[in-house]
Amino acid sequence: MRTEVPRWLGLREAGVYYALLLIILALAAVCAALGRPGYLSAVNLINIVYQASPVALMGVAMTVVLITGNFDLSVASVAALAAAVQIGAVDAVGFWPALLLALAVAGAVGLLNGVMVQLVGINAFIVTLGTLTAIRGLVLVVTGGRSLMVQTPAALTAMTHFESGRTGPFPHPILYMAAFTLLVWLVLHFTTVGRRTYAVGGNAEAARLCGISVNGYRIGAFVLSGLAAGFAGVLYASRFGAMNPTALQGEELTVIAAAILGGTSLFGGAGSVLKTVAGALVLYTLTNGFNILNLGANFQGLIEGTVLIAAAAIYTLGRGSAPRRTPTIIRVESPEAVCHKTRC
Amino acid sequence: MSARPLLQLERLEMVYPNGTAALRGVDLTVRHGTVHGLLGANGAGKSTLIRILSGATRATAGRILWRGERVSWSRPAQARAAGIATLHQQIPLVGTLSVLENVFLAQPGGWRHDARALAVRLRRLMTSIGYELDMNAPVAALPIGERQMVGILQALAAEASLIVMDEPTASLAAGERRLVHRTIRRLAGEGRAVLLVSHFLDEVLALTGEITVLRDGAAVLSSATAALDEPALAAAIVGRPLRRTDARAAANEPGGHKVAEIIGLESPGRLAPCSFEVRAGEVLGIAGFLGSGRSELLHAVFGADRSARGEVRLQGRRVRRSPRAAVAAGIALVPEDRQKQALVPELPLAGNLTLAHLGRFARWGLFLRAGAETGAAVRAIARLGIRTAGAGAPVSELSGGNAQKVSIARWLCGPTRLLLLDEPTAGIDIGARAQILALMRELAAGGVAIVWVSSDLAELAAAADRILIMREGAIVAERHARETDEAELVLLASGAARGRPDVRAEAG
Repeated sequence: MRTEVPRWLGLREAGVYYALLLIILALAAVCAALGRPGYLSAVNLINIVYQASPVALMGVAMTVVLITGNFDLSVASVAALAAAVQIGAVDAVGFWPALLLALAVAGAVGLLNGVMVQLVGINAFIVTLGTLTAIRGLVLVVTGGRSLMVQTPAALTAMTHFESGRTGPFPHPILYMAAFTLLVWLVLHFTTVGRRTYAVGGNAEAARLCGISVNGYRIGAFVLSGLAAGFAGVLYASRFGAMNPTALQGEELTVIAAAILGGTSLFGGAGSVLKTVAGALVLYTLTNGFNILNLGANFQGLIEGTVLIAAAAIYTLGRGSAPRRTPTIIRVESPEAVCHKTRC
Repeated sequence: MSARPLLQLERLEMVYPNGTAALRGVDLTVRHGTVHGLLGANGAGKSTLIRILSGATRATAGRILWRGERVSWSRPAQARAAGIATLHQQIPLVGTLSVLENVFLAQPGGWRHDARALAVRLRRLMTSIGYELDMNAPVAALPIGERQMVGILQALAAEASLIVMDEPTASLAAGERRLVHRTIRRLAGEGRAVLLVSHFLDEVLALTGEITVLRDGAAVLSSATAALDEPALAAAIVGRPLRRTDARAAANEPGGHKVAEIIGLESPGRLAPCSFEVRAGEVLGIAGFLGSGRSELLHAVFGADRSARGEVRLQGRRVRRSPRAAVAAGIALVPEDRQKQALVPELPLAGNLTLAHLGRFARWGLFLRAGAETGAAVRAIARLGIRTAGAGAPVSELSGGNAQKVSIARWLCGPTRLLLLDEPTAGIDIGARAQILALMRELAAGGVAIVWVSSDLAELAAAADRILIMREGAIVAERHARETDEAELVLLASGAARGRPDVRAEAG
């Protein structure tokens, strides 16, 4: 079969969508075979997206940071801090002011990250590893190591309405996530800001010599990442009206994994927020599937890690820029066809 | 000395797979205990010769006799083992390791275990050349001149009998340069041989006993230094009849209005205070060799050098010192390294073209107009004859000449008044080179002021209107292109005697 497949349908360009589809179909088939109906039901699918929403939200902002050529490990800690601020302040000032306060705090941490990386010149990995640890410590100090809870019923109602309300069949977090993703996607692809963001990550020196403020764009990406993490934290706080200080620990790795599954380059200059969302959905579909199949949490990490490395391997092997250097497997239409060709 | 020379090259030829003949039968003889100078313009074949001697590539024809025996090296380790050490322009040292560790890096055996013995050895080496270095200092902390000395010590530690030095003093200050000169003399005094590649004619004349000049891949002059002088060398390097009228339009009198005025522009350690002006329609050439400060000057004018001080005025108005302000004011820089400094590999051709003046291709400066971008790209492709699959093609697939055209065309998308070109014709084929020179003259005719850096001095003499000559970070002379030629430029840029009084007083 020598048919040329359009680039955007190729494994490298659209692989994460194929993977998502494949996993859903596989899980649906297994569920049907085991006599557990309803995997493909709207309720379950919407539930997967709902669960994935906070990670997808942070993943979209993370993708922007990665596109500019940086890295943000601090998102989960920042989300926890924002959750603590939200719950701590909501009784006194009301829901919306508390939300703004939480976002302001989260954005400030993003700004701090950006300034340390771009203006002081410390490596992003080190800076955000530092803020990951320090901000988590700050959360523990602020909460005294105990769980926080919303006290006033009015505040609790406002929070649950914000998080658990539905528009049609869709819980609000899905809509927040979709709106944010769409907005970032539009900005990245149809505005000068987006073009310059890609240029900054693709070749910082060239961007600088074109008169683009490299520092500005990179710091801006960190602030966006902080704000998105803050919003995810507010969603988390609002879901339960309470939080414990170790909430969301380790989530930053899931967020980064979602971006990598979506094909975002760790070296900057390339990445798609839509594919990051698909990457988050892949991870949560797997989690959801393990729950439904009662496989237990033990297998989960193993499988997810394997999927991540497999995805990265496909992207790396498919990176050949010149057509003749591109391995043929990248040009065939589906993963099954790949297996057929390589006789696996 | 002994009857048998240390190294003899006989009819050495090198033809690259793409058909370029870099060496066309070069004969060269290096004797024990002598310093042999190797001169030639860019592209004459010096680098290829060095690569063959260091074992990095194999000659396609001819013989190499080492101590009278025929050899054929295919790996650098073989040349090193035989006793040839090569000091490249960019010395490959490990910045995080100490001087001691770097000097013995290439040595076989576990240096970690006998550090003390090595320290004694290094001490003895340093005494022998009369130069002391802190052997425990990390190499990254050393100034460039001392790093050069670490490279020389490395060659000594390998007990090389022939040391090939590729432009060892190009980026050094005067004091460091003297140190290298002294070391070279000592090496010869010890009976070692040195093959010295340098652009500085005075340096070569002072240090060497014999000189070979390469031109277009052939040895055109081979003689004892005593029988030569600077004009003879310059003539041998240049050789061919000058192409004075190639690209230049009818004598371009500087009648245009003053576009740019540079006043006391300097950068500590890189650039001595420079002042000059460029007029509309004028192509101002900057002549100078590697390390002369020519790129640094352009970056300072563009505001890309943060530590630069001084004033750049464009049409009478002072430009704030940042690339952003420069672009907004109408200054454009086509940098030397296309891949590293100009092109964004992830963006298609159109995206690379519009990057500097992106606001002009967007509604309200924000929403991109894809049609306008594609249109501009299609026009640029047609105007400059860029060979590509189209506006959406990746720039990574462009050849050197076409990539350079994109890098220049980027600045034609906006209101460019002062165009700074840094080696726009380096490393590209002759057809694209002619097109770029023609484009440059066309833009000048349209009223753009152009500052053009080139190390191809013949090209400068042929296509510029006026030429500033740089050496060691300063403008040392100025010539009207009609009144000079390549040979004189070589003399001026290499710091040799000045043929006649300058058009203006010497700067800096």
